[in-house]
Amino acid sequence: MSAVIDGSVTAEMAVPSVDVAPESQPVGWRHRHLLDVDGLTAADLDLVMRTADAMREVLARPIAKVPALRGRNVTILFYEASTRTRVSFEVAAKNLSADVVNIAAATSSVTKGESLVDTVRTVEALGAQMLVIRHPVSGAPYLAAEIFGGSVLNGGDGWHAHPTQALLDLYTMRSRLPGGSVAGRKVVILGDVLHSRVARSNIWSLTAAGADLWLCGPPTLLRGFEAWAGRGAAAGRRFHVTASVDEALRDADVVMALRIQRERMASGLLPSLREYAARYGLTAARLALAKPGAIVMHPGPMNEGVEIAADVAAGAQSVITDQVTNGVAIRMALLYLLAGVAGAGSGVGGSPAGAPGA
Amino acid sequence: MTDLDIGRAWLVDPATGREGPGEIVVRDGILEAVNWLDGADADGVDANGIVVAPGFIDLHAHLREPGNEDAETVASGLAAAAHGGFTTVCAMPNTSPALDEPGVLSQIRAAAVSSGSPVELLAHGAVTTGRAGETLAALGELADAGVVGFSDDGSPIRSASILRNALAYAGALGLPIVDHPEDATLTDGAEANDGLVATVLGLRGWPCAAEEVAVGRDLAILADVRRDVPGVRLHLTHLSTAASLELVRRAKAAGLPVTCDVTPHHLALTDEWVAGARRFAWDAGEGGDPWRDDALVAAPYASSLRVNPPLRTPPDALACLAAVADGTADAIATDHAPHTEVDKAVEFGLAANGISGIETALGLVLAAVDAGQLTLARAIAALTSGPAAVLGGRSRRNGSVGLVEGAPADLVVFDRSETWTVTADGLASRGKNSPLLGMDLSGRMLLTMADGRVAYEAPDA
Repeated sequence: MSAVIDGSVTAEMAVPSVDVAPESQPVGWRHRHLLDVDGLTAADLDLVMRTADAMREVLARPIAKVPALRGRNVTILFYEASTRTRVSFEVAAKNLSADVVNIAAATSSVTKGESLVDTVRTVEALGAQMLVIRHPVSGAPYLAAEIFGGSVLNGGDGWHAHPTQALLDLYTMRSRLPGGSVAGRKVVILGDVLHSRVARSNIWSLTAAGADLWLCGPPTLLRGFEAWAGRGAAAGRRFHVTASVDEALRDADVVMALRIQRERMASGLLPSLREYAARYGLTAARLALAKPGAIVMHPGPMNEGVEIAADVAAGAQSVITDQVTNGVAIRMALLYLLAGVAGAGSGVGGSPAGAPGA
Repeated sequence: MTDLDIGRAWLVDPATGREGPGEIVVRDGILEAVNWLDGADADGVDANGIVVAPGFIDLHAHLREPGNEDAETVASGLAAAAHGGFTTVCAMPNTSPALDEPGVLSQIRAAAVSSGSPVELLAHGAVTTGRAGETLAALGELADAGVVGFSDDGSPIRSASILRNALAYAGALGLPIVDHPEDATLTDGAEANDGLVATVLGLRGWPCAAEEVAVGRDLAILADVRRDVPGVRLHLTHLSTAASLELVRRAKAAGLPVTCDVTPHHLALTDEWVAGARRFAWDAGEGGDPWRDDALVAAPYASSLRVNPPLRTPPDALACLAAVADGTADAIATDHAPHTEVDKAVEFGLAANGISGIETALGLVLAAVDAGQLTLARAIAALTSGPAAVLGGRSRRNGSVGLVEGAPADLVVFDRSETWTVTADGLASRGKNSPLLGMDLSGRMLLTMADGRVAYEAPDA
């Protein structure tokens, strides 16, 4: 029971009133940073979902803005090109009345010039209290969290994690599935699992929520995942891995297609995009294997005609634009919850426990 | 000159295979007497207190001079060696410029003399010019100048043809090729052992097969060259996988002239540490899962754990221990790889490979002994007589690595009943890139003597 996120267990728990400052009302959130999904308990996930409900209500107002984070500096530091996630964080922070600073660090500066450590110290000296970071190297947000005095939100690191995406995916599934729960539902993540931080974060959240999770793609893009599935994401939280798209899609409740990148061909992982589209692309014919009314998701940006057919992406079963809207609500919820944790707004407060050595 | 009396300690002499209670007398730097005790005189002396053994020999250390003196110098490296109990150190030639001709060897020898350290500095020469893997370095001139082997370590010898020629040429000089076995086509961009930890953390996988393919290739070429050059010798350094060690075990059984070493970190630490576990290999168990076992106690992605070859799974580490125990691994070599903070205080995937490990080697090995994974005698042999045999008498100790009466004192004294805490300030190395910072290790070093002189003495000893 405790490992399952289910709408039925939430009734007696407090829903934050998001119109007031977060530190003024303890809601049971204890994480200073959001670096990964693996450290979130079922209760944590549930609190995020309920807070996002409150944020959806804010978004429905004529003026979609609350003063909760007034005077706080949210700095968005992106080392990778991104429109969707960066703008989503920016809109979320502004809806909470935070002051937003955007820094687009050129990818080249990752390997030369100012180090991440120096950059984080600099933005903190410039007043950053909450730091949203996206970085092409797995684990980079942990290094930032080791030295940053405020809260770090992982906006996507390498192949490792994309926590806000996984949480908005869970939120979207719960809002669209009959019964409002993913427990026992067959959820398929289809495509380039190996390079996908979205897939990794969804493994943690969806297995915690009790979904019947299936990962599917060409064997070269599933490397290592069979062993992970065999051990489970945590005690007893198994999932399935298959290269057979028919087996994965049959009777699915949710199908999430992942982006395929062109460099996969250059590194010999796939013969061609054409062959990928033919064998693994999410077409209307394939989607027909899933349950009637199964929902279609994609974290974006899409290559229409490759991993997903244009008519499927725009079809009645697609909830892809819902994902975008829910992304703002989820990021508002997370900024709000993290801001309520001691130390997050003070700009001071040492390294987190268990920080790595030199 | 130095006088020293050590009464009632546990003596370990790998030269004779003898260990037991005894006393040591050093006069004017000469090991004057080794008195083995028995009966009532030996009461209360056991292997869990003060231990005396011959000074250790490290077949594999990066001293970074010339070219990267911010990370280490010959002087700081020899001081670190002495703190770790090592009295003979073989420097690796991946300096800048590379040690591919005798001039660089003269330079580091001069640095060792001016350091005043009594620790013996030996060196491997490069296999290929500039370590570029294309043409043979000045192997004959380097041999005449006194190198103890040839290695392009830091990189594998990519060309099988160059390796074949190098083995033949060096074999005729009576010297081994010391290969870093890695098929680089399988490790492009690799970050961590290709297993559960890398998959979960989103790190690029570094397969065991990359090492095993290279070991298999090297052994096949060795067998081939041996038909022409009976004196050919191959030494495989820092083996890290169970299958690599099994290949060497079989090659030795078939009579091939191959030796190998494993590092302290590969026999004690595992890829679980990258995820945030801090338990030794033997505490993880077969098929352990740090997420399931609640073993994650530190933040993941500590760049001090980025090393080539990567830390492997617990079964691989246990295979390294088994190889030391049965002699498949001739030596424990540190692969001491000091780096500056600039090169290590960065994202895991951008960090330089390597662990500053010469000062923590004994502590990790003793942890294995404490856990019953290895006998003390076998552990000491892998740090002394084992590497001495690989050197084949090319140490000033002339091959006789033992508690030898009448020879200049060359020994270590450590206390197994005491632990010490690894700290950045406490490391003599300029490289503070140890994943063990803050941890307590057993076996506090009390004294290291090399060539009859004190090389290290504990502040309060």
